[in-house]
Amino acid sequence: MKKSLGAVALLLAATALTSSCDKVKQAVGGKVEVKNTAYPEKVLWGDTHLHTSNSVDAFGFGTRLGPEEALRFARGEEVEATTGSKAKLARPLDFLVISDHAEGIGSTKALYDAPRMMITDPQLLRWYDMMHASPEESLKAMGEMLAVRASGKPNPAMSDTAAAEKRTAKLWTEHMDTVERYNEPGKFTAFMGFEYTLMQTGNNLHRNVIFRDGVDKVSTVKPLDPGDAKWPEHLWDYMEAYEKSTGGQVLAIPHNGNVSNGLMWMLTDPSGGPMSAEYARRRSEHEPIAEITQIKGDSEAHPFLSPNDEFAGYGTSGWDQANLLGNIATKQEDLPGSYVREALKRGMLIEQRTGVNPYKFGVIGSTDSHTSLSTPDENNFFGKHTGVEPSAKRATAGFVPGVPSGRMNWQSLASGYAAVWATSNTREAIFDAMKRKEVYATTGPRMTVRFFGGWDFKADDLKGDWVKAGYAQGVPMGGSLKTGGKGAPSFIVSALKDPVDGNLDRVQVIKGWVDKAGQVHEKVFDVVWSEMDGKRKLAGGKVPAVGDTVDVAAATYANTIGAPELTTVWSDPEFDPTVRAFYYVRVLQIPTPTWMAYDMVKYKLTLPAEIPLKHQERAYTSAIWYSPA
Amino acid sequence: MDYKATARRLLKEPLVHFLIAGAMVFWLLSGRAPDLGERRIVVNEAVAGALAQRFYDSFRRMPSQDELDGLIRDYVTDQVYYREALRLGLDQDDEVVVRRMRRKMESLAVADAEAATPGDGELQAMIDKDPARYAEDPHTSFDQVYLGADTPENRIQADAKLALLRAGKPASGVPAPLPGQLTKASANDISGMFGDEFTLALRRLQPGQWQGPIASGLGLHLVRITAREASAKPSLATVRQRVENDWRAAAVAKAQSESYARILKGYDVAIELTK
Repeated sequence: MKKSLGAVALLLAATALTSSCDKVKQAVGGKVEVKNTAYPEKVLWGDTHLHTSNSVDAFGFGTRLGPEEALRFARGEEVEATTGSKAKLARPLDFLVISDHAEGIGSTKALYDAPRMMITDPQLLRWYDMMHASPEESLKAMGEMLAVRASGKPNPAMSDTAAAEKRTAKLWTEHMDTVERYNEPGKFTAFMGFEYTLMQTGNNLHRNVIFRDGVDKVSTVKPLDPGDAKWPEHLWDYMEAYEKSTGGQVLAIPHNGNVSNGLMWMLTDPSGGPMSAEYARRRSEHEPIAEITQIKGDSEAHPFLSPNDEFAGYGTSGWDQANLLGNIATKQEDLPGSYVREALKRGMLIEQRTGVNPYKFGVIGSTDSHTSLSTPDENNFFGKHTGVEPSAKRATAGFVPGVPSGRMNWQSLASGYAAVWATSNTREAIFDAMKRKEVYATTGPRMTVRFFGGWDFKADDLKGDWVKAGYAQGVPMGGSLKTGGKGAPSFIVSALKDPVDGNLDRVQVIKGWVDKAGQVHEKVFDVVWSEMDGKRKLAGGKVPAVGDTVDVAAATYANTIGAPELTTVWSDPEFDPTVRAFYYVRVLQIPTPTWMAYDMVKYKLTLPAEIPLKHQERAYTSAIWYSPA
Repeated sequence: MDYKATARRLLKEPLVHFLIAGAMVFWLLSGRAPDLGERRIVVNEAVAGALAQRFYDSFRRMPSQDELDGLIRDYVTDQVYYREALRLGLDQDDEVVVRRMRRKMESLAVADAEAATPGDGELQAMIDKDPARYAEDPHTSFDQVYLGADTPENRIQADAKLALLRAGKPASGVPAPLPGQLTKASANDISGMFGDEFTLALRRLQPGQWQGPIASGLGLHLVRITAREASAKPSLATVRQRVENDWRAAAVAKAQSESYARILKGYDVAIELTK
């Protein structure tokens, strides 16, 4: 540095430099060795999908809380939400990924902060004035920005690439420093990550990108802006280059297949031709898990695709009519490419042809909250974005109040969490568990679920240390059944209620398979349920409903029905060793109130009949796969 | 990197704060840039150095020659507009200018708090002031047998099983994804798994003997506490990162409010409103 610099400039510059260096040094210096257990003993709870004021839309929606507040909140500290109320989690999280949109990172904030007289573009000026006028006008401005985005013709004045690049670099550096300061191995894991917001005229192809590594490696790259990209190969190139140049690891989590209009899990490759083995390999290598449930609906299964599944269709209302931005209607033939159960079947179909399964992925839930607050609990739900933070109006408001989105806010789910069977609470152990798909999703309640597949599990195994046996003799969720087994595969399935939530109704195994003619099939097996030898004996091959204790007027329920735990050893009665199959577990809670019911009581509302006031929350595990030898 | 140490020392000097703040205030109040009317825009080594430094802060590398040229072009454009705007008085009554100046003052006030590295003494003092905040939770090790839902039948069963366990015989519970043996579990761990009422109930139990049934959010349990460790005094080495995060958050807030109070002293604020 030149000695001739003015004193003030020198001071300011030096301040910035020492600040970042010191923070990084402290974080690295404070590293402690955390021991891994022999196998995962404790499930860890987290959110892989949270937006802060650095996200272009979150800021437009009104959020003023940044990454530091998000991390403090996740660790269990009380913070003040943007709209002024105090926010706190009853139970802290074990890990968090802040996944701000790489695209236009900080740009809405930059527009907001810009000197008005320097804004010459009439559209930008209009948005600027709206953002400064009131929270309601700010929401409308954001709605307009998203609409312009959907049109595929972004405002060129908004994309000053040099300025954007500089802004991104600065925010990314600050962001890494913050995340590093809050990552505490053994206690709380803060991951580096971002959202790759890939979209085709409003069809959602978003991915959350998560790094296994610390600032030393991650600082060599910047969040990737999809730009004009239509398909994810651009992202995979970026991931491969990162791993090659740093020796680190990174994975991507697709989310919201439900609003992709069938593009998320296609049978073909992007050109419409048959998917190649190489394409399938890259997809499964870089995208080992998918987000199956979140505030913008649930992507497990759709009633149209699974007409014989009476519990299909949770959280699909409003989300199955059009793509993410609501500018292209969803056709029935789009649905198979939009839901996870169908994707798992398609994966096997492609594997039959190419030898590689592109969709052999595990599942997690997360929030996609744009408030910096990760809150998937029905009675402590801070909403999708700041425009719908707790208020008397939000239950009947539009999804983005004041902006025609074709969706109502009550269609938002207070969902979900990522549950991870890791051997310690560290970046490395959690990331590795995600890689091997030993993870599951819930729509909010913290149910504990174990799922092991093998060839010789018996009911008697449950009398001993069956978890140890599960690992020793079989594979956990996310695994593939070992080859060479005799007879039909058997599974240990065990679910335990959340200690502060509803009892369990039933546990189901969902099987999907591909027959020799290349047809896909599915079947839902009820494998264990409450009072199965008592009041709820099978009637006509069907499990009677668990009942309902919800007092809607008070937003309460009673655990006088259902069971706190459901465990069994189940063997596939229809096993055909010659065909590919997958098995995953779905756990259903007894009916409990929705967040709208809690709002109704809190704000003394009368709500229209169309708004659901109770539901059955659930957990979905990653599958276990079978392939003929 | 001697200048860093110098800079850090300087930053701690109240006189320097005063000078910087004073210069800013003077500039603000006078409503003029120091070189108002100056129509000569000079790009010398000092300016280029500052531009390069700003680039470095963002990208963590020095700009290439092309990039530096671009930065300089930008700088000149900025200056032309900026000076012309000031000349035309466009900064007057502009809400955004006011807000940006405020933010600049605020960030100037907290810059050294953000950059400073607290001494071990300061951090230790923070721990001593609120040891409970930084203490490891007390640890409890215990064995438990889960008996399922809290029903009258299960309570009767519990008594029989308790007798077995106390006689040193095995008694099996209901299979569930719940460990039978917990080692050094914190209150948070226990509450997360069993719920708060169970954690509280554990505190009242004496170690050594099988006891129960104890109710939790999951049902009934028989419990034997095997070890209890009081919370160890938190050591700076183990909690440094957390204390330092808190220290910085507090220092920034303090610097902010103190600097405002100091500046406010120089003003008469008259609220002339009729109620």
